[in-house]
Amino acid sequence: MRYVRLYIAFVRFAFMRAMEFRLDFFFRFGMDVIWYAYQLAFFEILFLRTPTLLGMTPADVRVFIGAVFVMDAFHMTVFATNMWWFPIQVNRGDLDFHLVRPVSSLFFLSVREFAANSFFNLVLAIGVLVWMISAHPADFGAVRLAGFVGLLLVCSLLHHALNVLFLLPVIWMHNAAGLRDLFMGLGQYMARPDVIYRGWVRRLFTVVLPFAVLVSFPVRALLGPDFLGPALQILATTAVAYGILAVAWRFALRAYSSASS
Amino acid sequence: MRPRLFLAVTAQQVRRSMAYRVDFWISSTAGFVTTFGLAWCVWTAVFASAGSNEIRGWTLDGMLLYMVVVVLLGRVVRGGDIDMTISNEIYQGGLNRYLVFPVSYQPFKYAQAVGTLLPALVQLALFCAIFLLVVGRPADIAITPFGVLGAIAAMAVGHVLYFLLGYPLELVAFWADNVWSLAVTLRFVTTLLGGMMIPLALFPGWAQDVLAFTPFPILYAVPAETLLGRMDPALWARHMVVALVWCVIVQRIGTWVWRRGSLQYSGVGM
Repeated sequence: MRYVRLYIAFVRFAFMRAMEFRLDFFFRFGMDVIWYAYQLAFFEILFLRTPTLLGMTPADVRVFIGAVFVMDAFHMTVFATNMWWFPIQVNRGDLDFHLVRPVSSLFFLSVREFAANSFFNLVLAIGVLVWMISAHPADFGAVRLAGFVGLLLVCSLLHHALNVLFLLPVIWMHNAAGLRDLFMGLGQYMARPDVIYRGWVRRLFTVVLPFAVLVSFPVRALLGPDFLGPALQILATTAVAYGILAVAWRFALRAYSSASS
Repeated sequence: MRPRLFLAVTAQQVRRSMAYRVDFWISSTAGFVTTFGLAWCVWTAVFASAGSNEIRGWTLDGMLLYMVVVVLLGRVVRGGDIDMTISNEIYQGGLNRYLVFPVSYQPFKYAQAVGTLLPALVQLALFCAIFLLVVGRPADIAITPFGVLGAIAAMAVGHVLYFLLGYPLELVAFWADNVWSLAVTLRFVTTLLGGMMIPLALFPGWAQDVLAFTPFPILYAVPAETLLGRMDPALWARHMVVALVWCVIVQRIGTWVWRRGSLQYSGVGM
């Protein structure tokens, strides 16, 4: 309950701050709208030249893209700003202040900054996803849809775990630019359906660096005949990722020297 | 701005851009491998799904070489677009020193932008050579002296035009507190409409007709297709004329925004 009250306070401050920088607020909203158009246009142009994408119909891919928008907007709203500040706080030695607070340091560093300007993009992304699902010829049923939403939320947590794990080496390296670029580069693999990955690339992006799991597997659970298989893989992957994160976080904090640079 | 000063500023920036070589090469090689790897997966899947060896005149190998060229060439054309040096100078008051320099601000910043090109040019030559050595030259690709010279000219005009497109957006910093999202928006728009994600030949016919009169094809598609021998000289010349007209238009807009914005500027950094 203490964590819920704390989070509500973060959200309230975020909206107050966002209203002070209104122009930036609209620029950010416009940027994400353009990104949505860009992603949709990419697949629509591809489908002018091929009837399916390795078995996925245009309607399937539209649902997938709607889910990509929701996943991205959720991450941008809840975690991304915090992840941006994390290496800076390590380098400045500001992490000290968070380590002495009477709440989990990982929780505090992960969700303190709520991006109010991205919240409106999240609402828009949810609207696009609902539209794409309602335009799909299949009838999914309420239970499967609820399961799909639940899996998307679990995958959002997995996305966050991957982000922290990619940034954690900054404790030793002191320069996060390369790590951040690498995470963003690999993040592109989330935005394409996993059917396009074959052989060792598929194993790499579904097991070792599970970026292809993040959106494709919830969509597989929704569109495919088997809900349980992808759902279990998502839950297992997320549990393993948070297990690794818990160990790595403790190990990293022990190595944290608290010296600013 | 005198050519000698322009070259001096450029040379200084070249030295600065090569200062952190290891970090640069690790970061840019990883960036290239991840971006090209994804394009490879996408286009292999598209060709397999289409059940054809050729899509709108492109073979799979030709398409992959186009992707190598266009991704690397895009880095040359965009330069350090999201480094946001101009808007940061406005925010932090660093613009003050330029106001007392006996040179214009815009050419000075462009000279610096040219200075950041060297590492990207080295990468373009190196990775294209590696692709050609490993995969060989695809049958639908012909690299000719006209293609190389035409691509260099188109790339040079594309670089000027991208700088001029980004310049007024960064100057919005005179009024707004954060213009990073405008630079990223420009990148999204140019990436799609400039043919970096998909060759323009795959766009619907009406879209190709409209795009031919916009500033976007010269940024990526024209230099890449010219280099790969897929652009006839008459069409190349038409694209160059359209691009030069856009350079003039966007330069005027930039000058106008600078005049209006500098009246707002207090010289006090944040």
